[in-house]
This record gives sequence, structure tokens and C-alpha cells, in this order.
Amino acid sequence: MLLRSLARVRPFIAPYKWRWLAGVVAFGIARYFEALVPFYLGRGLDQLVDGSHDLLFPVAMIFMAVVVRYLVVTLARYCVRSTGLYVASDLRRQLYDGLQRQGLAFYNRHSVGDMMTRAVADIALIQRLIGMGTILMVILVYATLVGFGFMLYLSPELTLLLIPPLPFVFWYAKRNSMQMGVASQAVQDRLSDLGTHVQENLSGIRTIQAMAQEESEMARFAVTNTAYGDAFYEQARVNSHMTAWMPTLAAVCTVTILGYGSHLVMNGEMTVGEFTAFFMYVNMIVQPFRVAGFMVNLFQRAGVASDRLHEVIDLDREIPDQPADGVPAHIEGAMSLRDLHYRYEETRAPVLQGLDLDIDAGETIAVMGKVGSGKTTLLRSIVRLVDPPKGSILIDGVAVQDYPLAQLRAQVAMVPQDPFLFGDTLRENLTYDDTSRPLDAIWLAAEAADLKRTIEGFAEGLDTVVGERGVTLSGGQKQRATLARGLIRQAPVLMLDDCFSSVDTETEEHILQSLKNLRRGQTTLVVSHRVSTARHADRIVVLEDGRISEVGTHDALLAAGGWYAELERIQREGADTSDYDGLGTAS
Amino acid sequence: MSQRDYSLFEADITGSAFNMRLLRRLMRWMRPYKYTFLASALLVLLMSSLQVLLPIIISLVVIDGLLRGNTSERPDFGMTDLTHWLSDSTGLTPLLAACALYAAAQICWAATGHWHRMTLISSVIKGLRDLRQDLFNHLETRPSSFYDRVAVGRVMTRVTNDVEALYELLRGIGTLIGEFVPFFVALSVMLSINVELTLILLLALPLMGSITLWFRKATSTLFRLVRQTLSSLNQDMQENLAGLTVVQLSGREEKNLARYDAINAENRGHELRSARLETLYGAFTDSIAHIAIGVVIWYGGGQVIQNAMSLGEVVLFTQFINMLFHPIVVLGEQTNILFRAMASGERIFQALDWDEKIHEPEHPVKLPERLQGNLAFRDLKFEYDRGVPILRGVTFDIHAGETLAIVGPTGSGKSTLIRLLSRFYDFDDGTIFLDGFDLNQIHTRDLRRRIGVVLQDFHIFSGTILDNIALGNPDITREKAQAAARTVNAHAFISALPKGYDTPLSERGQNLSQGQRQLLAFARVLAADPEILILDEATASIDTETELLIQDALRKLTAGRTSILIAHRLQTIQEADRVLVLKDGAIEEIGTHESLLAADGLYATLHRLQFQETQADPSP
Repeated sequence: MLLRSLARVRPFIAPYKWRWLAGVVAFGIARYFEALVPFYLGRGLDQLVDGSHDLLFPVAMIFMAVVVRYLVVTLARYCVRSTGLYVASDLRRQLYDGLQRQGLAFYNRHSVGDMMTRAVADIALIQRLIGMGTILMVILVYATLVGFGFMLYLSPELTLLLIPPLPFVFWYAKRNSMQMGVASQAVQDRLSDLGTHVQENLSGIRTIQAMAQEESEMARFAVTNTAYGDAFYEQARVNSHMTAWMPTLAAVCTVTILGYGSHLVMNGEMTVGEFTAFFMYVNMIVQPFRVAGFMVNLFQRAGVASDRLHEVIDLDREIPDQPADGVPAHIEGAMSLRDLHYRYEETRAPVLQGLDLDIDAGETIAVMGKVGSGKTTLLRSIVRLVDPPKGSILIDGVAVQDYPLAQLRAQVAMVPQDPFLFGDTLRENLTYDDTSRPLDAIWLAAEAADLKRTIEGFAEGLDTVVGERGVTLSGGQKQRATLARGLIRQAPVLMLDDCFSSVDTETEEHILQSLKNLRRGQTTLVVSHRVSTARHADRIVVLEDGRISEVGTHDALLAAGGWYAELERIQREGADTSDYDGLGTAS
Repeated sequence: MSQRDYSLFEADITGSAFNMRLLRRLMRWMRPYKYTFLASALLVLLMSSLQVLLPIIISLVVIDGLLRGNTSERPDFGMTDLTHWLSDSTGLTPLLAACALYAAAQICWAATGHWHRMTLISSVIKGLRDLRQDLFNHLETRPSSFYDRVAVGRVMTRVTNDVEALYELLRGIGTLIGEFVPFFVALSVMLSINVELTLILLLALPLMGSITLWFRKATSTLFRLVRQTLSSLNQDMQENLAGLTVVQLSGREEKNLARYDAINAENRGHELRSARLETLYGAFTDSIAHIAIGVVIWYGGGQVIQNAMSLGEVVLFTQFINMLFHPIVVLGEQTNILFRAMASGERIFQALDWDEKIHEPEHPVKLPERLQGNLAFRDLKFEYDRGVPILRGVTFDIHAGETLAIVGPTGSGKSTLIRLLSRFYDFDDGTIFLDGFDLNQIHTRDLRRRIGVVLQDFHIFSGTILDNIALGNPDITREKAQAAARTVNAHAFISALPKGYDTPLSERGQNLSQGQRQLLAFARVLAADPEILILDEATASIDTETELLIQDALRKLTAGRTSILIAHRLQTIQEADRVLVLKDGAIEEIGTHESLLAADGLYATLHRLQFQETQADPSP
């Protein structure tokens, strides 16, 4: 299972496999040269014992081994680490690409936060698996092989005696570093609790102070704060245990060498130099054990990370695209809905339950209805943000699925409900679909969306950066900016999804007037909650539970005395006065 | 009001010099745990001595004493004598006695080391926990004027990241102590054996030190670039996903991928460069240690030949090499942490020293058990920034139980008025009386228990619906909370939720609609049962049906309670007994809805405008 998950990373390593393999091989060579150091240390000591006093050769060999090892190990590390970096960067690109191909259905199942975790944490794990996990494993294997090789050469007897304790050392190291993983995770979790707590508390500080809850909040924080301290202590405890008892367990080997090795030396079966070298070889073998558990943990987590990444990378386009074969290059704007049904994957009840409607090119339609009646889904279906069955939506007699996506979305411009702006300049935001748009087109759209004065009010004008790192726009300003971004495209079909909710009625009136001029003879669909918006339309369509309950002109619907007429009465009697703020200018 | 430099709080304090004053101040939080600290210091000395004893047993006792039969005086801390005593008193051979001694020393080393680390870390954790709590408590009581000017994110990182950096610092100091104490013990033993060889080995330290320093410097720039590009990558992706609908509707996918690719390549470039440096440095320090082994053999060997050193002493030197060099490597690793922590420390103390607060009366009046709720504003003036008056002398009365709606354009001073009433700001020009008590003579805590404020941005705390209604007040039982919810029409939607009142809410309350949040806010304030209600109405659009529920709830909420409503909707205004029209910080008009209409002033003009719209001939 784990192996299969890890194997899925292979295609990503493939382009760099020679680099990676070279690194793995070089590590073995480096280990060998490293093992020469204790060997010649022992030789040097023996020269002193037997009185030949020839130190030049062993010391020269040590220096040579050090230099070669340094060069080889540096190269090896770089090869492996850079492989990890290349793979991470390739994965990142694939993920970005994959995520851009997904649509609403996908993002209803997965949050953006979840995807960001994959992009940040999971890719980092794969990078560490390749750039570090393999190094650790290779070192562990080589150190054991080379260390034992040299020891067997020096004294097979003593070497065999050293083997029994080693599994225990390995077991302890693995167990302990697994515990370490748990403890570190706990620290991370508690730290993130702490951050959430503080952030939530400070963002609500006015409520807390208004309700005089400061003291109970302090007590609540003490709990979170102490929990963090406890987790931190536990992690330190596990770590300290490891630091204390790992070498102590390994000292069983040291004591064995000390006792039995001395015995061999006394009997003349071993030299003092070999005896000394043994201590260093045991150390060389045991050292990598320290990270054994960490390594196992890394492999496991990377396996999960690999699965999570492939979950996204392997997905097909959510909305299949279509080449431009025999469809008209220009959309006129006549639309037909034929028994349009749509159901979101995770909900039981369908949102659209059989809509039939014909819209003439050039008509202005207002879509109204309660929350959840299907207004937004209708607009989304037309530009294929969601994909209802083919044939249920026709534009100019052609199914929307037959148009290439790029053409459909370029010629049917939808302004979504949520006024989203990118953290960039206003100019970039307004010309988002085509940055080469001329200045007068920008101003024309801005004028129509009543954004011109706002832009002129900024010292930087169109180059004003909006969002977190720039100017914070009010809800109304944002809505007008997204509106301008839609208008600038002068598309044959324009669809506005409740775009005036944060705009005061007076401004809305003004925008609607300029829209009327701008879009004369072009199809426009407007979703709104306000009768004042809807009554400008040629026809009003009222949706109820995914079906069309009323269609007609403002007057016809008023006369019919249905839901629309009732809404008109409520809104007239308690007129929305959200533009009371405009009092100053009204006087 | 004194003018404060808030930018000081916003400014990034980076790279700070080593600062003794700061450390001394930090030590104040450690003081309650000084005995644990002291125990830790004693234990580290013990541990270091044992750490040095272990190689001494191998090289001086076993190699020199037993294998080479060399009996001359050694700086072996009496280990040879101890071995012989052990051997004599137990009947073990000297070799087995030495092994037993080694094992015992090893176990003692492990135990003392563990207890040293645990005592150190526990005192540090407790001290920092207290510091963090003090910081939190301090921030919790800073006034609105402070939070109006500084970003919450900035304040937050002081409690989280900056205190975290201190944890890192103190952990680092612990590691350094564990490295340097054995270093000095080993050094003294080496000096007592052979001064020259010790000095030769010490020559490597400045070399290693300067290379480590150079490496840290060289990589810090690269690391910064790596971090920057990585955060641009994340930011780019985050934003792209957040606006993916717009991206797709605008057909920008390919262009955005290319942009991401460019940052990705830049990031990879920096990563590769820093990997190159790191691998060059990584194998460097252990290479130096290996070279030192060669030097010990070469020089020490010469000394052995001249009988100036024993063979065991040469072996001992090779065993001490790691103890000698490792601390420098660790020191290099810790310097960045040290400097980062210094900057963090400054930021923390800056926050702790921020003494902006609401002035409490020296002898606060005691409010009666139940207030009537008469409010009187007398010539109230206020400015946030000197020379920019927001309120220019406002005088009016609200009678007990009355509901007053305040309307006026943005910047007319509506919000300021209610902020002063709930004492979020200090004011001294003009007076507000509550049942005849000067507001400035009432303790804010006492006052705020009597005033219920429903703010525009209703804040949801993570926890259940019940938690959010009761808000930590033990007096509000489940029954009380439910009764409040029922009164404000929130009961229906709460009961419809899967877990009813125990449904957990996420911080931003994504599982609730705007209207539901408003109703919940009403329930919260009603449960607290304040004598005075302040409502800053939200402007967001709410569907007509919920709107009616809210209107009904508001009616019940204001019944028999002195209420001030900052109103944005005509429906809300019509609930009020009187309407106050503010303009440019002064009262333009005040009176009943009808009388203001009759007066045909500003209010009437606006009102006419509203009705014109819906009464006009609908056919365009």
C-alpha cells in the first residue's frame, strides 16, 4: 500500500533519475572513505605501539580520505537534494494546472484551504522524501554495510558479539522517534490552536469589551496557553529521553568492546589501534539509527502526501472542452432552455427542475426568486460553470456544450455575485480577460458602472492597487468594479448575478440607465432581489424551487397578483433606505 | 488626547543587536522558577563531568593502565584508583571492574543529563507561559482607540510568533549550555595533558567559526529570497483559487499558469543556489574534525615517541575532538535564532509597554441594582485626530424606555456617538449622564454590563450556538439562552440545525446566513438583558422574509428598553419613537417620524426620495 503510494512519485523522478542515482552511488563511495579514517587512526596508533614510528603514511591516508570524502559527499548531497527540488517544482506546476481545470463541483467537495495544504505541506513532504529521506536511508544502509565490513576485517569474533544489541538500539530509536513525531505534531496542533484563539479573540475584541468579558477570556486563554506549554514539555521530554538513552543503549556495544576487546588485545589477537578503531565504527553504525523513526515516519507521511496530490493531478477536466467545429464564430444571443434540470452532487434535491424558456436576442430578462430557488445555478449553467445535460441549453440554436469553452465564456459574460478582485491594480482587474484593452474602453466601462469618480478619487488612478496590500474598497466599490470588468467585454450576452446588493438604490438607478443605453439590442440577464431593479426588464422570470412560477412584464405580473406582486408591496411599504448615507448629498 | 505613533507598532523590527537589558527584563519572568533553574545548573556540571569521564575510562584506565601497563600519574579523576578499589572489594578482574565503572558512569550521565534538560525546560516553559499570558491580558484590555489604528494581525503575531521565538531562543540556550559546559571541562583536561597540542587544535576554532559565520551570512540572503518566492507562490495559488470562477470566466488559465511558472522557476533557482552552499558547508565541519584526528596522530605520535605523552592520552585527544568542535557548529546554528529572538523580545516589550487605556474613575460611583435608563447628552464634542472634530457639541435626551433612531451620512458621527456612550473612548469635552450619573464616574466594566451593543460586524466565536449566546456568562443558563432565542425568532432556525443549540459554529460563521447571524446577535444581547440597547444596523442585503423576522425581533428587543438604533432601513426607523438626524457632527433635526415629515426638512426630503422611487409609474 505504502510502496504503491510512493511508487506514484516515480514518474516525477524519471526525468532526473541519473542525477539521483549518481547521488545514491556517490554516497556509498563517500562512506567508504569515511571509514578509512578510523582504520588509519588505528594503523597510526599501532605504529607507535610496535615502535616503527612511521606516522607519515597513516596520516597522509587520513588527509587523503578526508579530502576525497568531502568532495564526493558534497556532490552526492547536491545531486539528491536538487532532484528533490526539481520534483517539487514540477509537482507544484502540475497541481496548479490541475486545480485550474476543476470547477464548482470539485470546490464544493474540497476547500481552498485543503488545496493550499496540499500545495504547501504535501509537496514539501515529497521534496523531503526525495531530497532527504533517501539520503537518510542510504546513509543507514551504507553505514551498516561499510562499518561491519571494516569491523569484520579487523576482528570477526568481536564483530559478531556486537550484533545482538544492535536490533534493540534500532528498535528503541525507531520507537522513540515515532513518539517524537507524535509529540511534535501535538506541539504544532497546540500552536495552531493558540494562533486561532488569539486571532479570534482579537478580531472580536470589541464584542468582548462591549460585553465586559475580558476576564473570562483571559481565563479561557490560560487553558489554551497551558495546553501549549504541556505539549512543548512533552516533546522536550521525549527528545531528552532519546538524547540520554540512545547512547546509553549503544554503550552496551562499547562495554563489550571494552571488555572482550581488551581481552583480545591482552592475548595478542588484536592491536590497540584496532581496538580504538572499533569504538569509532560502532559509533558510525549507531549514529544513523537516531533518525530511523523519523525516516520511517517521513516515508509514511510522504506516501499519504503522494496519494493526496495524485487525487488532484489525476483528475480530468471537470468541464470537457470542445474544438470549434462548425459552430458560428459569433453568438447573437438568442437562448432556449429545454427542460433544464440540474442537481449539485452532494445535495438530495435538484436545484433546477425543468426550466423551459425562450429568450430573444436583444431581450433584457430579470430573474427573481427566493434564496435557493436556482437563479445563480441557471446563470452558471449557461456559461458552463456547472454542466447540465447537453441540449437543455441552446444559444442561437446550438447546444452550449458544442461551443469551445473559451468562445462561450468570452461572448457570454457573467458577473458573479461575489465581488472578487485580485490583489493587483484596478487596471489589471478591469482588463483581466485581455490586458491589451485600450484606455478609452476602460473608462467607458468604468463610467457605465459608476466607478469613474471612485477611480479619479484615488491618487494613483487606475494604477491603484486594491486588496490586502493596497486600498481596501467598500463593498459597493468592489461590486461596481466587478461590474465594470464584465461590461468592458461588450459581450453579446451579459449576465449579472445580484450585482447591486451593496450599491445604494440611487447609484443602481444610474447604472441601470447607462446599461440600457450601452446594451441596446443585446441580450442581458439580471438576477436581483429588488423590484426596483427588475421592473426595468423586458420580462421578469420568477423562479420557485427550480421551476418557473411567473413570467411576464412588470405590469403583467403586478396584475397577476402572485409572489412578485407581494414582493413589490412589501418593498414599497418598507422601502429599502440603505442610501440614507446619501443624505449629505441629497440636501 | 495625546497623539501616539501607531506606525511604531506597525513597523517591522528586524535584526536587532544583542541586548543585555532585554535579557535581564526577560529574566524577570523566570524569577519565580529560579530554584528549578539553579538545580538545572548544578546538574549540567555533573553531567559534563561524567561525559568527560567516559573516554577517560577507555583511554587512560583501560588502554594506558591495563593494556599498556603504564602506571604513571594521569589526570584521570582518580578513575584508576577507583577501578582497583572496585576490583579489590568485589573480586572482579580490573578489566571487568573498569567495564562496570564505565556502565555506571554512562547511566549516571544519562540520568543527570535528562534531569538537567527537564528542569531547565520546565522553568523556561512556565516563565514563557506566564509572559504570554501577561501579554495577552495586557492586549485584552487595550482600548478601541488602539485597535482602530493597528491591524489585528500585527498584534496577534506578538502573542504567537514572537513569544514562539523566545521559546526557540531558550531552547537554543539550553542546547548551548549542554554543549559548552562539557567543552570547557574537556578543554581543561586536555590542557593539563598537553598544552601545545590543545592549542594547535584550538586553532581550528576561529577557522570553523569564521567559515560558519560566512556561511550563515551567505545563506541568510538566499533563504530570505527562497521564503519570499515561496510565499509569492502560495499567495498566487491562493488568490487564483479564491477567484477561480473569475479566472475561468475570463479564460485566463494559461496566462496564469505561465505567471506561476515564472515564480516557480525563480524559487527553484534560489533553492538550488542555497542547496549548493549548504552541501558545501554541510560536510565541512566533520571534515575538519577528521583532519584534527590526523593532526593528533601526527603531533601526539611525536610526543609519544619522545615519551612526553602516553598512547592512551593520544586516544583521549581523538575522543575529545567532537566535544571541542561541535559547540561551534551549534553556536552557528543558534545565532540566527538569537537575533530573531532579540527582535521578537523588543516587539513583545513594546506591546507590554503600550500603556494606552481608558481612564477609569478613581472613586467610581456604584450603580443601583436596576437602572431606569434615562440618557442625557450635554454639549458632547470629540475628535480622534487633533483638529478634525467629529462631534461638534451634541445635546439631547433619551427618556427611559424610549427608542431613538439615529440617521446621517457616513462620517456624520453616528458611530462615534455610540462608541462614547459605551466608553470605548475617553472624552472630556461635554458630558453624558446615565440616570443622572456622569458616565466618566462609572467604571467601564460596570457600565458595559448595563449597555448591550449589537455591532455591525457580528462576531462569532468558535464554539456552539449556545456558547455564542451565553458568551462565557455563567448566569445565562441553557433555558435563558433558549428563551432569548425564542423571543428574537432565532429558535426556529437553530432547532432546525442538526445539533440544535449545540451546533458548533466556525469562526466566520459560514454555516449561517447574514440574517441568521443578525438574529443570533439579538439573542446574545437579549440574554444579557441590558438596561440600554445600542444597535448598529448592518447594511448588507437580506432577503425580504428574514427581514420581516428581524423587524419583529427588534420590536420585542426594544420594548420597554432605552434603545439607540443607528438605522439604515426605513423599517427600522419606523420602529423608533423619535428620529435624530446627524450631519457633520451636529444635530440637524430631532423629532418623531411624523413631526419631521411635517417640518419638511432634510429628513422629509430624503423620505420623499425613497417613496418616489417605488410609487413612481413603474413603466419606464
